Amino acid sequence: MKAKNINNQDSRFSTWKIHLTVATTTLIPAAVGINYIAKALAEGLKLPLWLGSLGTFLASMLAGPTAGAISGFINNVIYGLTLSPVSTVYAITSIGIGIAVGILFHRGWFQNAKRVFVSAIIIALVSTIISTPLNVIFWGGQTGVAWGDAIFATMIGNHINIWLASFTDEFVLDLLDKFAVAYLAFLIYRQLPQRMINYFKDNQ
Amino acid sequence: MANYQQLSLNHLSFTYQHDRNPVLDDLTVSVPLNRIIGIIGNHHAGKTTLCRVLAGIVPQIISGKLTGDCQIGDQSPVRDWPAYNQQTGFVLQDPHSQLSGLADTVADEIAFDLLNHGVKETDIQQRVTTVAAQLQLTAQLQQSPDSLSGGQLQRLAIATAIVTHPNVLILDDPTSEMDPQGRRDFFNWLKTVTHTTIVIVSNEIDELCETADELWILEKGHLVSHGTPLQVMNHLNPEWQVTTPMVYQLARLMNWPLAIKPTLFPVTLNQLRRCVNVNHSNQ
Amino acid sequence: MDIRNHSLQKTVRLHWYNVIDPVTKLLLALFLTLLSFQLTDLYFEVGLVLISLTLLLLSRLSVATLHAVSFSLFLIATMILIQGLFNSHNTHPLVTILSITLYQEGVLYALNMGTRILIIIFSIGFFMNTTTISENATYLESVGMPYNQVYLLMSVCYILPQIQQNLNKIQFAEKARGINLQRTLIQKLQSLLPIMIPLIIKTFDQSINRSITLQLRGFNSPERTIATPMYHYFKPKFNHYFLVFMIMILIGVKLWQIISNFL
Repeated sequence: MKAKNINNQDSRFSTWKIHLTVATTTLIPAAVGINYIAKALAEGLKLPLWLGSLGTFLASMLAGPTAGAISGFINNVIYGLTLSPVSTVYAITSIGIGIAVGILFHRGWFQNAKRVFVSAIIIALVSTIISTPLNVIFWGGQTGVAWGDAIFATMIGNHINIWLASFTDEFVLDLLDKFAVAYLAFLIYRQLPQRMINYFKDNQ
Repeated sequence: MANYQQLSLNHLSFTYQHDRNPVLDDLTVSVPLNRIIGIIGNHHAGKTTLCRVLAGIVPQIISGKLTGDCQIGDQSPVRDWPAYNQQTGFVLQDPHSQLSGLADTVADEIAFDLLNHGVKETDIQQRVTTVAAQLQLTAQLQQSPDSLSGGQLQRLAIATAIVTHPNVLILDDPTSEMDPQGRRDFFNWLKTVTHTTIVIVSNEIDELCETADELWILEKGHLVSHGTPLQVMNHLNPEWQVTTPMVYQLARLMNWPLAIKPTLFPVTLNQLRRCVNVNHSNQ
Repeated sequence: MDIRNHSLQKTVRLHWYNVIDPVTKLLLALFLTLLSFQLTDLYFEVGLVLISLTLLLLSRLSVATLHAVSFSLFLIATMILIQGLFNSHNTHPLVTILSITLYQEGVLYALNMGTRILIIIFSIGFFMNTTTISENATYLESVGMPYNQVYLLMSVCYILPQIQQNLNKIQFAEKARGINLQRTLIQKLQSLLPIMIPLIIKTFDQSINRSITLQLRGFNSPERTIATPMYHYFKPKFNHYFLVFMIMILIGVKLWQIISNFL
């Protein structure tokens, strides 16, 4: 059932043509919560990964690219506002990830382990392409992850172009992270009860 | 012709979309409106699904295949959902899920439905106060819903459902987290509710027999028994594995049948008191 | 008796920052951030840092802001190190410690960026520390944002503290299962699954139930009473237009600079 659309009392907001169903409205906070838990688990285990997009992946898979993009966006905005203001700008990266996952999933690129491999590379590329300019603008090209930045420092020390160095720094980290997240999402999605998958599919 | 003064199910069956087997299978029963209907049954008997059908959640929100008919008064939860929904209160099994998730205080949580329906602020104040008093939440009105105990949370869930003055109130195991005193208070309050058709799923068989006008037993999706608590409890099939009220067990043990119908044993305290009196005076 | 918290403003003492509406505070943060990117002079940057710090100190300082500051100070320090050592424009030595030379150009570049980060943290900290979730929600709704979007934004704010509480339980489970003792990354990830799956299913189940509840409780009903703002704000419309105008100018200047670079 489509939600009874947004009431257009004010012209300023009627241009936001995002039709959210109630199911998507409650799925997104859950996805943000999962992002947050996964991130905290990764930190707790001292994994060299973020895992902070797991919820965004699952939201995209369950309710489509728009839901994923919004989850990613809101995730960074709220996380940024409350905990780490600069990460707010990476909301754009999260939108890209959400859309990429949604489209890849829809096209069947999450069906088996081999295809997930390809998906992970594509998603890591999308994420890196969007993040690199942000890294350069805000952090002079660093990512804030120690060993990624070590690569960055070595490359810069050898007079390699800052963009290339920053891209490498980000891509190495993203590739590892998105592989882990894509496979986790793939394995978790297969364990979700069919009624759950149907519910979010019906209520898109 | 449909009778507009009753709740009636007519060959009602329901299968979830993800499932092959029907969860509810060919239910037919009717009860006059404004009664209290208790639903009992074991795990996976279809109790929650029946509540969902009566609230219109299936097939409106959760899809599946519904056949047969369900009619409450002059409305059907299937055909007249938006209008029907406005007149129905529903309390979910898990009280946490009942909350809007946005309210800072218990008062705001109770007011949520009223705000959504555009009720005037002065009316909201008055209705929230009344409902909070009924469910003993007055002291908690300014607290955050997160600070409540399980039992208080269930009372809050009930408050949010009745504040809209529904004609139909559906309660899916509303006392699971309450302490014994809270449970007794709840059932005593339930008896005072008028002009409302109440459907309640519960495992509290003692209280249910005291309160309900009608008991339905569900067993693997079938309605295997329905009638007054007295009739239903006295005609149980051991296969259903239904617990009987303490009063009934005691009366069986002591062999204190009802004076009027010696084949039946009492299920409420009042019935028990009468037959104990009769048995005493006979001696 | 007024039982709902519309009466809050009568009982709680008003602070100066309560008369500024939330959107103005956010726009101010955006404006200061963009301005700091426009400036290249370190003294001006430091001035902006002081302005935003004053705003923050005049309101109140929260633990979250302090965390954010300490986290980024660390990053700024590594930035100064990397840029001071390796920045491609490095020519003039600044200091030499144990035969390692830090250069002026790189250090200056890193300091510039560091001040921008502090400005973002302070100005957003000002917004966060002086508004409450419900104030923002009522304000956004009162200026015409559809309720489901307000709900979405705000419910995320509410869900994070709840999840924080659950995390302790999960970390306990992690310890109990000895995941940390697992050797390889893949083993660690695999042993995460048995913890994650039930948790995720539970979380999604709760959101399914909540979406059912919301529909039963008349969410999205067109009759909804629009919330009234919690405070009387000082000239919100004027502030918005003024700040948006200034932001447009800053963006315009930046764009012009980029375009003229290509010309």
